[in-house]
Amino acid sequence: MTTPFDEKILEEAYNWVDTNQKVVLATVVHTWGSSPRKIGSKMIVNEKGDFSGSVSGGCVESAVIGECIELIKNNKSFKKLEFKVSNEKAWDVGLACGGEISIFLEQIKT
Amino acid sequence: MNLKTLKSIIANKRDNSEFAIITNLSTGEVDLFEKKIELNKKFEKYSKQIKDFFEKKKNGIIDNSDLFIETFKQPTKVIIVGAVHIAQYLIDYIKNFNFKIYIIDPRGYFASEKRFSNIDVINKWPDEAFSEIKTDKATALIALTHDPKIDDPAIKHALNNNFYYIGALGSNKTHSDRCNRLREAGYNDKQISLIHGPIGIKLGGKSAPEIALSVISQLVLITNNR
Repeated sequence: MTTPFDEKILEEAYNWVDTNQKVVLATVVHTWGSSPRKIGSKMIVNEKGDFSGSVSGGCVESAVIGECIELIKNNKSFKKLEFKVSNEKAWDVGLACGGEISIFLEQIKT
Repeated sequence: MNLKTLKSIIANKRDNSEFAIITNLSTGEVDLFEKKIELNKKFEKYSKQIKDFFEKKKNGIIDNSDLFIETFKQPTKVIIVGAVHIAQYLIDYIKNFNFKIYIIDPRGYFASEKRFSNIDVINKWPDEAFSEIKTDKATALIALTHDPKIDDPAIKHALNNNFYYIGALGSNKTHSDRCNRLREAGYNDKQISLIHGPIGIKLGGKSAPEIALSVISQLVLITNNR
């Protein structure tokens, strides 16, 4: 079940699109081990890198924002990201809790 | 996801309906699933798993597939009796949780829409108001008037319908008087002991926002342990 905090992000996404922003919705679709936010947790990012919501406890957000901006720049509709401890990116963005998460990015198409 | 789908999701949320989003992680396709509507044929192979996620209100990827299911649960009904100062703070906290709030208060000057925007305010006596709201054992009651004329009928309705949470404001003395009245009205001690009175967990505060915080803490605790 998706929590109301995350549901509010969907309304915010709509408001952002309504004010002519390009919006990517990031959703946690899978977790292994301990991870700070549950499956269904959401974050939105616009072309400038402004964001709202969360997909972890601050561990991977910066990397996700970068990926969302790239998605908008390249005009792609979706991308799946995985953050694992073994991932080389772990040094920059690693999940301090030792968990692993999958995040699905999708651009809101108008 | 296209904007049209996003709009439908938001509309479903506003209607408090129970639904799920099915996202194909390898194509980016998004579909909505509702109980009343038949599942799209393309999901036939996974219909059992999709229904299982839906029934259990689970989020996740279906095994050996690229389908991500996200379920949205109907909010829990919370009925606040008494459109008092504490209620104003309560709804401030409550809006962050999966609760649907109704406020009942027959006193028009309290229950004005101006004081409670975006909330269903029912300006009637509890007995009349409850004929308009469908309630059951998944409903919570917060009685805040500490006026027996208004609180008691609401508490009786809550006891008769086995609400999972019943909280009533008032001092120990007010609560013990309330218990006596309920006993005289034929309720047994076991039923009466289900009422959280004085309402809330002890935080030591006396101000309206502090009492509201103690009430919402107790409501969340009981809701999560249900």
